[in-house]
Amino acid sequence: MTLKQLWMVATAALVFSMPSMALANEGHVALKHAEIDVSDQAQIQRGLTVFTDVCMGCHSAKYVTYKGLMDYPEIGISREMVDELRGSKPLTSGMISDLSPEDATVSYGKVPPDLSLIVNGRRGGANYVYSVLTGFEHDPSGKVPDGNFNEYFPGNRIAMPDPLSWLDHDASDTAELEKQATDVAAFLAFISDPHQNERRAIGFWVVGFLMLLTVVLYLLKKEVWKDVKH
Amino acid sequence: MLEKMMKTKLFGWIDERTGAEAIIKSQLTEYQVPKNLNYMWNFGSLALLVLVLQIVTGIFLAMYYKPSAAMTYGSYTVAFDSVERIMRDVNFGWLIRYMHAVGASAFFVVVYMHIGRGLYYGSFKGPRELLWIIGVIILLIMQGAAFFGYLLPWGQMSFWGATVITNLFGALPVLGEPVQQLLMGGFSVGDPTLNRFFSLHYLFPLLLAAIVGGHIHALHVVHSNNPTGLDVHAGKSTIPFHPYYTVKDAFGVGVFLTIYTYIVFFNPQMSGYFIEVDNYVPANNLQTPAHIAPVWYLTPWYTILRSFESKLLGVLMMGASLAILFVLPFLDRSKVRSSRYRPVYRQMVFLFFVTVIVLGYCGHSAPTPTLKLIGQLATTYYFAFFLLLPLVNKFEKTKPLPEEI
Repeated sequence: MTLKQLWMVATAALVFSMPSMALANEGHVALKHAEIDVSDQAQIQRGLTVFTDVCMGCHSAKYVTYKGLMDYPEIGISREMVDELRGSKPLTSGMISDLSPEDATVSYGKVPPDLSLIVNGRRGGANYVYSVLTGFEHDPSGKVPDGNFNEYFPGNRIAMPDPLSWLDHDASDTAELEKQATDVAAFLAFISDPHQNERRAIGFWVVGFLMLLTVVLYLLKKEVWKDVKH
Repeated sequence: MLEKMMKTKLFGWIDERTGAEAIIKSQLTEYQVPKNLNYMWNFGSLALLVLVLQIVTGIFLAMYYKPSAAMTYGSYTVAFDSVERIMRDVNFGWLIRYMHAVGASAFFVVVYMHIGRGLYYGSFKGPRELLWIIGVIILLIMQGAAFFGYLLPWGQMSFWGATVITNLFGALPVLGEPVQQLLMGGFSVGDPTLNRFFSLHYLFPLLLAAIVGGHIHALHVVHSNNPTGLDVHAGKSTIPFHPYYTVKDAFGVGVFLTIYTYIVFFNPQMSGYFIEVDNYVPANNLQTPAHIAPVWYLTPWYTILRSFESKLLGVLMMGASLAILFVLPFLDRSKVRSSRYRPVYRQMVFLFFVTVIVLGYCGHSAPTPTLKLIGQLATTYYFAFFLLLPLVNKFEKTKPLPEEI
């Protein structure tokens, strides 16, 4: 074996073994996969309903304004629906929960995090949100009370009480609850980065144009360099 | 096209007052460059491009960004809110911000490639010592600018990254604490820190622009090295920079922009490598994230820091790992530049590249005993590479150099 081959083998061994070493030490549970589509208006609208009916009891999404619910084409609900949702709050107000931080601290021991950026701000993103919503179980060791044990929450003890009543639900409801969890995960994934569909749509043309330009520049380079002898 | 333009009356008028024709000739159309440069020589022009992109996008971001750690609803801050306003409400703010965030990482990618090329082909060796030293200064300022910039969104990683790094200065004897407090503008990272970091984040790119000018000037005095490392400054081994290398650089720019825009438009967080997940969580001085790591481009040096039990020693060694780059041209005593003709150095420099990647990986991961040991071994080789250089030429049998390129 030449020295060069030895290097390549050593490097490859090191590079391939490193991720497994890291994984072995992090001890994360594999998340469930959420079937979301952040350009699916129907799914996002259903997710909005879950969000306003369930999540907003405690959580806010302060960076999403009521006006935004009309203006983002991915949500695009009517003015009447927006008026119904916002009540007396101004159109430009963020979606703020009626539960005050002080009351939340008294009831749950902490302030529920704002959900505007929850998908970007958690490892696993929408899959994490979906997994936590459908991850309430009985604590196998019996230490954590029912409703506070979550298979996917880091440390397993979660302050959020089972919002979709996943624990001990009837088997016939599984599909419906999973759908609600998926829909709200899609909504939250959308509001984490509300220009993402526009971004991908524009990106297709930008990258396409640059690929063509690069080919042209390559041909130009070849033409200019054709007299240079190597 | 350029010759035609230079014959116009307007150009003549300008030329009389600026000497523009002489500059264009000496720096472009008659500036001689070796004809055998490979694509590794494209990264210099790419670095310049990214610097300009960063400055331009940064100027627009600064029009909307507000450097204040004052609290807003839900434990957010004015700074964090202003970044989200850019992302959501400012027309194409998301594009400018993602370009800037991805640009920071892209800057380090091209600059690390540029430095790697200089190491491999011996571009740092005489007569290019000063050119290399100016380059090291540019690297340090870049790292500073990136570090200051990362604090600005005031997310968890911004806050705790700044806390960890400003604390490092506190480990230094005597001057440590005053310097740390001067950096933070108080006794902990807070609103004054954010304000001065914003100010410095705006200052450093201006310094960069000036020093990059010096880097290019120094290059044009000593001329480009080439893959053979032979001295070629004129004759049939060289070609004028324009049009040959302008068009080759333009092609490189095309390739670069294609990859860069692909990331900007389709994966701007680069799965947490370019914008970390934790930085979407607002800064909270009462809650330390489970795992604090700097952004990928600073992680090799972070591993060197963590490889020592004593904090002071770690800080000093981290400083030494960067400072040693300054003396590299004087450590390497071989008369041959390019690795092509230096079998021993070639293996050493390959291993050095692998080492830096390993160091980066270790610094990015949560610390474990195994990774710590690997990091320590890598740190040892990082320094060994430099310290062995003065000895290498004593036994290295270099291959015969070609007569011409």
